[in-house]
Amino acid sequence: MLLHLPLAELEVGHHLYWQIGNLNIHGQVFLSSWIVIGALLAVVVLGTRKMERDPRGVQNLLEFLWDYLRDLARDQIGEKVYRDWLPFIGTLFLFIFVSNWGGALIPWRIVHLPSGELGAPTADINTTVAMALLVSLAFFYAGLSNKGLKFFEYYVEPTPIMLPFKIIEEFTKPLSLSFRLFGNILADELAVAVLASLVPLLVPLPVMLLGLFTSAIQALIFATLAAFYIGEAVHEEAH
Amino acid sequence: MTTSLPFVLANHGFALNFNVFETNLINLVLVIALLVYFLKGFLGGILERRREAILADLKDAEERLVTASKALEEGQRELAQAKSTAEKILAEAKQRADLIREDGEKRTIEEMARIKQDANANLNAEAARVIEALRAETARTAIDKALAALPKRLNDAKRAELIDRSIEALG
Repeated sequence: MLLHLPLAELEVGHHLYWQIGNLNIHGQVFLSSWIVIGALLAVVVLGTRKMERDPRGVQNLLEFLWDYLRDLARDQIGEKVYRDWLPFIGTLFLFIFVSNWGGALIPWRIVHLPSGELGAPTADINTTVAMALLVSLAFFYAGLSNKGLKFFEYYVEPTPIMLPFKIIEEFTKPLSLSFRLFGNILADELAVAVLASLVPLLVPLPVMLLGLFTSAIQALIFATLAAFYIGEAVHEEAH
Repeated sequence: MTTSLPFVLANHGFALNFNVFETNLINLVLVIALLVYFLKGFLGGILERRREAILADLKDAEERLVTASKALEEGQRELAQAKSTAEKILAEAKQRADLIREDGEKRTIEEMARIKQDANANLNAEAARVIEALRAETARTAIDKALAALPKRLNDAKRAELIDRSIEALG
């Protein structure tokens, strides 16, 4: 789909393909992912290099984020095993959040690619599917490592009638996780791009601000749901 | 945009594009400015409050540490004092016990000595009494024997001799 408008071009479905073996990978997603990962690592390394008792600046911000993620993981997973999953949940949240906000705030279009354009890594379905599948893997790993084969009782509780629904749920979980995030971010980017191509100044601003809000919410939703699923897997029935 | 440069670059590789309209730069700058303005107040406030709470907690904990240290010191001092008092009391008690024991021993020895003396005295008295009785008995027996033997052995000659001897003895 190519819109030919006087002010800006809008490209969807064009990618910067890199070929590795038989795989065609979306290079622009990797580039922006590396930038996001690099930014996160830089902030974390900077903030933890000189830890002081008096939390200032970046250290204070990181501690605040850690507190926030700890509370999130503890609320959803439970006191007993949340420590095992806090790094996973925290990484998901931070990566998605920084991806979304980076995609909305960094003027990616300054860098012109041979094909496709840079943007939020989470606006690409491959990224979100990968993360959603990781969440599914984490769900099974958490359940099996905590409860062993008793984990499969989860499928027949509270009644065996639930079995087919629970099995279907295992497929819909990653599907809904990935599509929700991907759809929201891509839609936000498209809405901004379309508005910007129609009226370049000021009119896209409300949508951009709304986009910041929704993309923050999306990061929170993804992380919370991931934690909730893991919490479901490790949940001990009160006998 | 229909300028030729980006168009050419679009097909031929990486490039930088500083067209403010194509890159949506103005809007982005505005959004970032707004965000910085609001986040500085909001997030900055949260972080500052958090920092103050942590510092207050730390100060509180430190104060409690100082108080606890003082209490510990006081307690240790009191413990040392109590220990020394206990030692003093123990030493005194030992001394007194020694004293009492010595006293008791002395008194026992004295008592024993007195009892022994009494017993000795009793024994001596008894012995004297028995000796006296034996003596009296012996004397009486001797006198009896003498009296029994006397009429047979005493004749006139002998009687005269005896009288003479008695007179001599008197003389």
